[in-house]
Amino acid sequence: MRNSKNIETRAWLGEIPLKSLYTAGLAGQIFFETLKERGELVGTRCGACSQVYVPARHFCERCFAELTERVKIKPEGTLKSFTFCFVDQDDKQLEQPMALALVQLEGATTFFLHRLLNAGDPARVRIGSRVRMILKPKAKRSGSILDIEGFRLV
Amino acid sequence: MKGQPEVVQGTSLREADLKGGRVFTVSYVPKLHYAWDMGEAMGRYLQELGQGRLIARRCRGCQRVMIPPRMFCERCFRPTDDWVFLKDTGRVNTFSLCYVSWDVRRLRRPEIPAVIEIDGASPGMGILHVIRKVSPKQVRVGMSVQAVWKPRSQRTGSITDIAYWKPLKG
Repeated sequence: MRNSKNIETRAWLGEIPLKSLYTAGLAGQIFFETLKERGELVGTRCGACSQVYVPARHFCERCFAELTERVKIKPEGTLKSFTFCFVDQDDKQLEQPMALALVQLEGATTFFLHRLLNAGDPARVRIGSRVRMILKPKAKRSGSILDIEGFRLV
Repeated sequence: MKGQPEVVQGTSLREADLKGGRVFTVSYVPKLHYAWDMGEAMGRYLQELGQGRLIARRCRGCQRVMIPPRMFCERCFRPTDDWVFLKDTGRVNTFSLCYVSWDVRRLRRPEIPAVIEIDGASPGMGILHVIRKVSPKQVRVGMSVQAVWKPRSQRTGSITDIAYWKPLKG
C-alpha cells in the first residue's frame, strides 16, 4: 500500500482466537430436553409475583426467587409484535425477506421470539393474530431452539 | 443474615458432560480478523527490520533521536524531521526474570524480557525485547547487548525479525 506521499505503509494483519461454549443451565436443560424428547414447551412459574417464564428459567428476574414450579405451556398464542428482515446479520440482502414473531404463548406472561413462517404480505399481518408453533419431526430435533421451525398464523 | 450475600451453589460440569452431549450447549466462534494500519513511522520501522536494520526519527526541535520512530514529537508538539539508522547494539535499561510462559506454564530456565536502550538513540529510548545466551545470574542493568537477527529468508518485517539479544563481548 502506498500513501499520497509515496511512502510505503503497511497493515498488520492478525486474528483474535476466541471460542465460546454456552450451556443451557438448569432450567434451560429441562426446557430443551422436553422440547427434544416430547415436543412440548415447559415454563416456570414464580409463586411470589405470578410471572410465568417460557422458556423455563431457574430464577425470577423480578424477585430473584428460585423457580421450582414447572408449567406445561400450550404451543399456541397471540402475535404481540413482528418484524420483516430484508438483510441478514452481515447486512447482505436476503433473497426472501424473513419475518420474526414475538409471541405470547397461552399461559405465559413472557414473550417468545421466533420465526413467523407464513407471513406473506407484511401489510396483511395483524398484531393480535392467533399463531401456532410448528415443530421439527423428532428425528431432526437436537435440543436447540431451532427444534422449533417457527410460528404459523392460524 | 443481614448484610451477608446469599451463597448459591453452582452446578459443576465435567468435560465429558459437554463432549458427550449430556448437557445442551451452543458453541460460537466469532471471526475476529483485524488489519491495523501501522502508519508511516511504524511501517518504515518494520520494513527496515526486515532488512536487518534499526531506524529512528530525529526531532530538530529537541534533538532527540527516537526509536521506535514516530512522525510527531510529543515534547515539541511538531512533526519530526529526519530518518536516522542506528546500530543494532544497546544497553539493558531494565529486565525481568520470567519463570512462566505467556500462557502461565512453568519454565525451568527463565526468559529474560528487557527494555534495551539503543546505541545512538536518546537516553531512555529503547525497545522491549528478550535477552538470551546469558546466565540469569549475570544479567545486569547497563550491560551491553547486540541483536541476533533471524536469517533473511525467515524475516517478515516484524519485531521478531530480531531473534533475541545477546551480551556484547569486549
